[in-house]
Amino acid sequence: MAVALPALAGATVAIVVLEDYVGVPNASAVYLAAVVATAFVAGTSGAIVAAVASFLLYDFLFVHPIYTFAVADPGEWLNLVLLLFIAIVVGELAALQRSRTEIAKAREREALALFKVSRELATRESTPTELPTIAGILRQETGTERVWIALGPDDARERAAADTGTDHRPMIPGLYSVLQRTPDDTPARWSRVHQQGQARGGQSVGFEAFRVRIEAGSRSFGSIWALRERARGEPDRTETRLLSAAADQIGQALAQDRLAAESQAAEIARESDALKSALLQSVSHDLRTPLATIRAAAGTLRPGTGLSADDQRESADAIDREVEYLNRMVTNLLDLSRIEAGAVRAERDVYELDDLVGQTIDRLRPRLGDRSLTVDLFAPPVEVDPVFLDEAVTNAIENAIKYTPAGTAIRIITKMDSGEARVRLSVEDAGPGVPDPDLPRIFDKFYRVPGAAGGSRSGSGIGLAVVRGLVEAMGGRVAARQSQLGGLAIDIELPVAEGSAEPTVEATT
Amino acid sequence: MSGGRAGAAGPTVLVVEDDDETRAALTRELTTRGYRVAEAADGKTAMRQWEGHRPDVVLLDLGLPDIDGLAVVRRIRREAATPIVILSGRYEERQKVEALEQGADDYVTKPFGVDELNARLRVALRRAAGPAADEVGRIVAGPLEFDGARHEVRVGGDRVELTPREFEILRVLLSNAGRLVTKGRLLRAVWGEAYSREDSYVYVHVSQLRRKLATADRDGALRDLIVTEPGVGYRVRELDRPATLDGP
Repeated sequence: MAVALPALAGATVAIVVLEDYVGVPNASAVYLAAVVATAFVAGTSGAIVAAVASFLLYDFLFVHPIYTFAVADPGEWLNLVLLLFIAIVVGELAALQRSRTEIAKAREREALALFKVSRELATRESTPTELPTIAGILRQETGTERVWIALGPDDARERAAADTGTDHRPMIPGLYSVLQRTPDDTPARWSRVHQQGQARGGQSVGFEAFRVRIEAGSRSFGSIWALRERARGEPDRTETRLLSAAADQIGQALAQDRLAAESQAAEIARESDALKSALLQSVSHDLRTPLATIRAAAGTLRPGTGLSADDQRESADAIDREVEYLNRMVTNLLDLSRIEAGAVRAERDVYELDDLVGQTIDRLRPRLGDRSLTVDLFAPPVEVDPVFLDEAVTNAIENAIKYTPAGTAIRIITKMDSGEARVRLSVEDAGPGVPDPDLPRIFDKFYRVPGAAGGSRSGSGIGLAVVRGLVEAMGGRVAARQSQLGGLAIDIELPVAEGSAEPTVEATT
Repeated sequence: MSGGRAGAAGPTVLVVEDDDETRAALTRELTTRGYRVAEAADGKTAMRQWEGHRPDVVLLDLGLPDIDGLAVVRRIRREAATPIVILSGRYEERQKVEALEQGADDYVTKPFGVDELNARLRVALRRAAGPAADEVGRIVAGPLEFDGARHEVRVGGDRVELTPREFEILRVLLSNAGRLVTKGRLLRAVWGEAYSREDSYVYVHVSQLRRKLATADRDGALRDLIVTEPGVGYRVRELDRPATLDGP
């Protein structure tokens, strides 16, 4: 209303000044302009006050006899009444237009805020990681002092997941207002809650807490809390709608997360069933083949078959070989099931790598055929489980033998990492290799590189899974990469023994 | 299952194994090689057989249906120094080490070849025949000369500089040639009783010893002289392998 006075004063001065220079045939039009301006700024009530004031001013200043409210000319009466009527109508329209513009702006702002919230949630990696950003948006858009988002299925277990404040607070105040939402379209409203028993944390002087529960379906996920200056009153409709919509979106996102996790668990269960049947298929084939060989060879050893001593020796050797193969197979299967059951426990001790790996290599040497082997094991003592390391290295080398053609090279080398805390033992081959996209998967159980030849016996996809399981159980890591020899390189990273330089310092006799 | 089988007048071996097939195969094999065999399928029978026959060597499976195989080891050790060779599965690793620390002499891992088993039994019996002391005077093994009195080790005539620890380790290993020497035993013998729990770095010392010997050993005759039994201990290769079974 305070706007009406300067506007009308301005209009009056304008009329007086213009009168002197150009003449004002109808001064009431200038007052109309002032009424419209007032209406834009001050709304409907301002417009009415301005209209009435213009009516009076015009009458007093410009209608004969001037400086009285009396009106001499009946024609002027009509003029005055028309001014009042038009002023009120135009003022109303202008005020209406103004409030529409304001509502549209507020809506746009609200929509933008909501859009930001939903964009955060849509691009989320996990809902909780997006909550700090969302809390920031809500604080800014609802004119609150502080916003925190707490997650938990009930009050007792609610914990702050995001907080725009920095001091130590998130809490459930003893007194707060909670948003009562109704399923139908009736507007939500705030209602006071006294909760002495549940209260955790203190009340801030001069501030009031507002709470919007995060729910989806019948499930409660937590709350959005907003702390406002008491003087500002409760959040207005736009702010309330924004808080409420944000709570809904967060609730949906959390429900989706949960659903995704559940369906992933179901997927894993299905996959593991599929894996089990893959195992049975692959294993029953791999176990039966050597059994058939053994049975046939044993048959030839019965007296009376008339076999030469050489042939008999050949049969006995075949049995030995197949038994060794079966033994490896069964060992790997048991290792794998123990790894999966979490039943492997490494008994670590300090060893020289060349000592342990050297023995493993010596044992496998006869199986290399005419593959050339380069070994360079220069490393400080490592802290490993010797049995695990033997199994792991055996499998890595067997893998190299299995998938590379005769006559190619195999290289077993070591390399220190820069921090000297780990040593990398690499088994490299010059075989067909593994395409880059498949590299990360070769340690997955039952994974076989598509199209891999695998020699006379197909791989069961167990060996490298065992390598990974055993190496990780010792606190090491595995990786696969392209070898400089052109084939596959399996890297086994092992922890170096602490203070490994210590025992070598000793005087000689 | 009672009584030893009649056969050649070789040493008596008590076979304690609960799997009938395996026990039958072992008995067949050992009888063929000149042993007299007593059998037991469980711990109680094993103890009865042990009392009745006082075998020269015991072949013991740790996984028995009635009593813990370790208890059998302890029981036998209370009364006698009869060599015990453990039959061990891959997953009895810790149990195996425990049995060895409790006094068992050696082990073979299933599945094993009969030659390997025979070699272990032979060494165990030889040790029983004349228990080796950890003190040895002078040993010559190929290019290696070990002289305990002069505190000297030569390979191919050249002196090898060893630390006192390395020298003691070599002494203990050589005096137990062919036998398994557990890490605990090595620690007690070289570092002393108080150190038997501080088992780190035994392997490192042995590796250094082996490296020094290998450097001096130009024609590789001493390659594999000291074999690591991962997680268990060491074994020095038998220096002069007899072609036939030693008598008890």
